[in-house]
Amino acid sequence: MAGYGGYGGGDGGGFMSGSQQGGSQAGGSKYADESLRPVTIKQLLDWEEPYSGADPAIDGHPVTQVTIVGQVRSVKPQPTNITYRIDDGTGAIDVKKWVDSEAQGGEDGSGASAIAPDAFVRVWGRLKSLGGKKHVSANFIRQIEDFNEVNYHLLEATYVHLFFTKGAPGGGGVKQEGGGGDNMFVDQGYGAGGGDVAMGGAGPGGGNSAMQARLSTCSRNAQTMCNFINNSPGGTEGVNLHVIAQGTRMSTRDIVNAADELLGQGIIYTTQDDETWAILDY
Amino acid sequence: MDGNSSTPRITCAYLSQYVGKLVTVVGKVVQLRGEEATIDADGTIHAFLNREAHLSANNGVQIIGKVNPDLSIKVLSSVDLGQGVDYNLANAVVEVTHRYKPLFLYEN
Repeated sequence: MAGYGGYGGGDGGGFMSGSQQGGSQAGGSKYADESLRPVTIKQLLDWEEPYSGADPAIDGHPVTQVTIVGQVRSVKPQPTNITYRIDDGTGAIDVKKWVDSEAQGGEDGSGASAIAPDAFVRVWGRLKSLGGKKHVSANFIRQIEDFNEVNYHLLEATYVHLFFTKGAPGGGGVKQEGGGGDNMFVDQGYGAGGGDVAMGGAGPGGGNSAMQARLSTCSRNAQTMCNFINNSPGGTEGVNLHVIAQGTRMSTRDIVNAADELLGQGIIYTTQDDETWAILDY
Repeated sequence: MDGNSSTPRITCAYLSQYVGKLVTVVGKVVQLRGEEATIDADGTIHAFLNREAHLSANNGVQIIGKVNPDLSIKVLSSVDLGQGVDYNLANAVVEVTHRYKPLFLYEN
């Protein structure tokens, strides 16, 4: 939520943010905050509305769109929507798919009637709360062909949860609840040697708190990139763009943008050429 | 079913922690004998099926059921998952479930 004030301020005039706040009921929040987050149903049920009409947040981060995977327990066709009871083993929630009379026979229009109880489905939608009862307003529901997607989703939801609560893999980036102990608990880095990762993770976390503080204000991409360089054996030679691209699976453009951000913060510097960077140590 | 209840994903090793509770097991059907099935989920589990169960030997299966005191499972619902189920992945999910419980299960 910390990002809110800053974003609104940069907007100038406040017209955009003002008008959109009012329309948040219709789901029109800022585009920059739009995301599609994989979650377990229990995470949705565990969210407690601080006040009526509040934007949902999980792990302290606002969630707009969510995706869940579960088994259909019941199907209730209603005049304006079809209500599915979806159970993913962690909890059960109602999913409402609005009936679009004009899009009959469409990809999901026809699929609606085809989804039978006990089928595994993936749902994209928004979490809504009406009178304390939560449901997901679905944009899309599709049947799952490969059961492994169910397990994949659960791991992905866990990964995203850990990302938000403990920072990106590879050490560093501790946010939120992350105390000193959590830092050591970070899952594997980018396949670097175990010892190196522990060093890389603990080093900046403990010793270089000034850098950590600045890094925590950076974008996710910048954090990922910084952590990757930190955990690479490049030293003062630096790490090349291509190596970073391979290791982090970020696009070249994302890396260049992240590099600009980190350069601006004085966290990294260019070495041999403009596409090779190293961490600026104090 | 009540929204605030979970059917935790478990493997054979966790059975004893869930006696009398509803659980979810993903495993491979080793043997079928009438209404009794042997399922491999990182260890052998005996399951007593209901009438609606349509399982095939050697296929993957997801069962939801209640753990009996003798650590067999009384199946309430079962889904045949066919071939191609990644059991290592399923077992990894079980481990993650128990490592990060707040994401997955309500503790009573």
